[in-house]
Amino acid sequence: MIDALMANILWMVFIVVGGVLISWSVHFVPVGGAPAAMAQATGIGTGTVQLAAGAGLTGLVSAGFMMNVTKDLPLILASGAVGAMIMISVTMIVGTWVYVYGVGCVPSSAKVKVDPITKYRQDLYVSQGTEGHGLPTVSFVSGVIGGCLGGIGGALIYYSLIEVGVTAGLAASASSSVTGNELVGIAAMFAIGIFFVNAVIPSYNIGGTIEGFHDPKWKKWPKAVMSSFVATILCAIVAVIAISQLGGI
Amino acid sequence: MSAGGAGGGATAAYPQQTIMAIGAVGGLAGIYLGHFMPPAFSFFGGLGAICAIVWGADAVRRVASYGLGTGVPSIGMIALGMGIVAALFGLSVGGIAGPIVSFIAAAIIGAVIGVLANKVIGMGIPIMEQAMVEIAGAGTLAIIGLSVVIAGTFNYADVVQNVVANGYIALIFIIGGMGILHPFNANLGPDEKQDRTLMLAVEKAAIAVVITGFASSLHEGLMAAGLNIFVGLVIWAFAFMKYYELVKRDAFSVVGTGLLPSAEELE
Repeated sequence: MIDALMANILWMVFIVVGGVLISWSVHFVPVGGAPAAMAQATGIGTGTVQLAAGAGLTGLVSAGFMMNVTKDLPLILASGAVGAMIMISVTMIVGTWVYVYGVGCVPSSAKVKVDPITKYRQDLYVSQGTEGHGLPTVSFVSGVIGGCLGGIGGALIYYSLIEVGVTAGLAASASSSVTGNELVGIAAMFAIGIFFVNAVIPSYNIGGTIEGFHDPKWKKWPKAVMSSFVATILCAIVAVIAISQLGGI
Repeated sequence: MSAGGAGGGATAAYPQQTIMAIGAVGGLAGIYLGHFMPPAFSFFGGLGAICAIVWGADAVRRVASYGLGTGVPSIGMIALGMGIVAALFGLSVGGIAGPIVSFIAAAIIGAVIGVLANKVIGMGIPIMEQAMVEIAGAGTLAIIGLSVVIAGTFNYADVVQNVVANGYIALIFIIGGMGILHPFNANLGPDEKQDRTLMLAVEKAAIAVVITGFASSLHEGLMAAGLNIFVGLVIWAFAFMKYYELVKRDAFSVVGTGLLPSAEELE
């Protein structure tokens, strides 16, 4: 068991880096939670976990596609990042359409007086009794950055877990049988498990809602990143041992 | 704005020790029975999963009553995230003691995350550490229990072959998580009652057994799958009727709305 851990120490470091990236990425995603669903807070109207999972798992799938054709790590990470960025962008643009044309409110932030990117005034357009609504430009850009980081993190974890399995003597290539591929299945499930743990920890840190990197809450990220660092080390040890055991059966 | 919970401990009719005992002992007993009995009796794993899911839902109820700041679903997802990592680890190294090793690994991961949430992030929920241990343990037992329904055993090689490799594990992940997070999420509010919430957990867990019963037909054959589905359906019907009764008990009044008015009546 200890041999397996020592042999895979590099992959474990990658898994921990991936977990930390996911944790950091959540702070960029403009999550509005239930208030945003009623257009009473800036951001996308659903919870952190759903958003992070949606974007991150799309990143995982797109990284998996790339792994079919190459073993080049930067390409795989780029594929994961682009997949997650597309997913989060689509979510945000459709959400904006709904807020603008459906609800009929102006995308505006209540946390800053002017949008740091467009320099447009914000406070004039915030409806009374709300904490902003819709997705102003800065939140959109922040969300895309978050998707990028989350996608890289998810792809890094998945790639590392597959490499741990390859070290243990398993094949990662596609199989044509109905039972599927053991290594791909188990690596994907561990990646999803680690992803959820690292998506929930920062969502507790930000208290469920955040507007993006211009939000004062964003400065709290070191706490969540520290927590995720410790939690991911545990998950990485457990995951590497479980996948190494696959080689023996 | 805190979603769910008024910020205080939850009142309970059944003491938490009783529910913990049902969840941990019932969960493990069901898993071992499902493992050692012939494949036709794999529904015992499902009964274990029901016990574990009820326990998880009760733990979610207690911790989410304090107001997590983010919706209740997040804690169900972290339960299954920790659970899946711990479950596969325990089965891979534990052999015959697999579920117990998984359970202990889950408790350790849960305790660490609970301490981090309170000490580093500063959530300030007094029962966070204990609740995280319970939720992680319940999530683990639910995953192993539902895996036993599909594979008929918790032997690592068989679980990997029959549950993980073909992707049924993703199904277990979501329906198990739904059983743990949904009951409190659906019932929360000032009039939330423990027995109603837990009855909804039984009902959701029974749906999980029915769905895994369908999935088990691939490996265990139609007879065993039929028995799994039948057991799940019986429990579901009982729990649903009971839940509806409790809803009627707690509601101010239950009235029928009648059919939609026709076009003439609207004019």
